[in-house]
Amino acid sequence: MTDEKMRLILEVWRQDGPRAEGRFETHEITDATPEMSLLELLDRLNHKLVEEDVDPVAFESDCREGICGTCGLDVNGVPHGPEDNVPACGQHVRSFKSGDTVRFEPFRAKAFPVIRDLIVDRTGLDRIIQAGGTIAVDAGTAPDADTLQVTHDEAERALDFAGCIGCGACVAACPNGAAYLFTGAKLAHLALIPHGKQERAKRARSMVAQMEHEFGPCSQIGECALACPADIPLPAIAVVNRERIRAGFKRKAN
Amino acid sequence: MSSEITTRSGADQIPVARRPATTPPPRPQTWVLKVIMAATGSVFVAFLLFHLAGNLKVYLPDDPRLHFNEYAHWLRGLLNPLLPGETFLWLFRGALALCLVLHVYSGLTIWVRGRRARGHHSRSINGTRHHLIGRTMIFSGLIILAFIVFHLLDLTVGRGVESREFSSKATFTLPEGGSVTDAYANLVHSFERWPVAVFYVLVMLVVALHLSHGIWSIVNDFGGTAHRTRTVFLFLADVIALIVVVGNASIPIAVLTGGITL
Ligand code: HEM
Ligand code: SF4
Ligand code: FES
Repeated sequence: MTDEKMRLILEVWRQDGPRAEGRFETHEITDATPEMSLLELLDRLNHKLVEEDVDPVAFESDCREGICGTCGLDVNGVPHGPEDNVPACGQHVRSFKSGDTVRFEPFRAKAFPVIRDLIVDRTGLDRIIQAGGTIAVDAGTAPDADTLQVTHDEAERALDFAGCIGCGACVAACPNGAAYLFTGAKLAHLALIPHGKQERAKRARSMVAQMEHEFGPCSQIGECALACPADIPLPAIAVVNRERIRAGFKRKAN
Repeated sequence: MSSEITTRSGADQIPVARRPATTPPPRPQTWVLKVIMAATGSVFVAFLLFHLAGNLKVYLPDDPRLHFNEYAHWLRGLLNPLLPGETFLWLFRGALALCLVLHVYSGLTIWVRGRRARGHHSRSINGTRHHLIGRTMIFSGLIILAFIVFHLLDLTVGRGVESREFSSKATFTLPEGGSVTDAYANLVHSFERWPVAVFYVLVMLVVALHLSHGIWSIVNDFGGTAHRTRTVFLFLADVIALIVVVGNASIPIAVLTGGITL
């Protein structure tokens, strides 16, 4: 198995800077193996480029095990790659056949300007979190374990939504460049736990306003939930409107 | 992450654009537009089902012409004598027209905002048929809008596109005395023109597409997150779309094939 070598044609987006013109560059990798991840395929390419004295392709990654959300690029036009609900670092060369062309592109959305090559600026998502994706608690000595009661089921449901790793694939998958899955996941998570309920309405108002500032509307296309490596379920998009409509009936912060 | 990013060549030293988080979002806010879409869309769905129930009177076994015309007459005088004459009819029309203006305005705004937020990039299709239908809502919607104009000119006003035999005069005599417009005859005459019949059938298919995605959207836009509610809406979307297309499109087909005659 392991010594099976694959020949892949890589089309890679190269862009020198935010304002520079981008273009696709074509390279050939002759010694790819099926168990390589797609990021390792890019590593392989970069080794080759360095040997040839060419600038390596800039792309982001960190944990390479699907927990940090740093990796993120379009593979043949699909965020993260051909497998549903798997981050780029967990996608493998075995999805392709020897001789295939694999096209690497940065995430594409108006809110994600390209910084260099495959790296985009995803701080628009950070600004949504800054607008209200936080809770106010006394940091200091840890409280007694049972002062805030959360049932097991509620905790589990909140954790399902808390699983978002902030990668931005939902935006890159959406024909409207919407960040509903991301924002809805955060709103749903914080609306379920006591710490978050204090500022539930205020949070909905400010996060939705910030989201609309840079991202698009949701038209229920459903691509986001297929791309999401954290398996955030599609009802998260309905949570955005549920929370915002609810906040419309509230004067107070909760 | 650092905000100062320089480029390889050094020729382009511009840091990545930072948008201030403090400027207000575009007005009216998108979530408001979506709630308006869902509310007005629901009104249209209710209206379509009501309208269909009336249309299906052409299939009543004995004297459909009488039943159909009596129904048209009943509609005109609804809530008499509480509201005089055709007051209710005009309130009804006014409300629908208002919904239409709001629905079209919101739909266009949402579409434009979506295109802008995506930027000049294509998107590959990974998901279900809702991808295609959902992305083309604006086009199915504009076809429906054109159809509404045509339909009103054809069968309500009788100007420009009506059949040669069209009459808005009260020419049909009711058994209990008095005479009303012969809406039934106008309908049959219109559909005897085959291109018009084909046009109606095609538009009903477009309406079905719009509904199959639209009714599913309603539950999302009103914030329905419960699994059962969502499953019901997903199912109802297709069932109602099917009922509307089969029920309505069968009428021009029946006229063309001689199933419905004067
Ligand atoms: C009989 C007539 C119509 C019916 C029954 C109908 C029904 C609906 C429904 C139920 C929705 C879902 C609303 C939501 O987002 O929750 C919808 C969406 C939509 N409608 Fe209509 N509609 C009609 C006519 C029109 C017309 C004339 C237009 C013309 C522009 C239009 C454009 C749209 C668009 C663009 C959307 C999608 C909005 C989005 O992307 O979220 N519709 N329609
Ligand atoms: S919701 Fe999923 S796709 Fe979107 S940012 Fe979070 S993890 Fe990524
Ligand atoms: S590198 Fe951390 S999720 Fe892929």
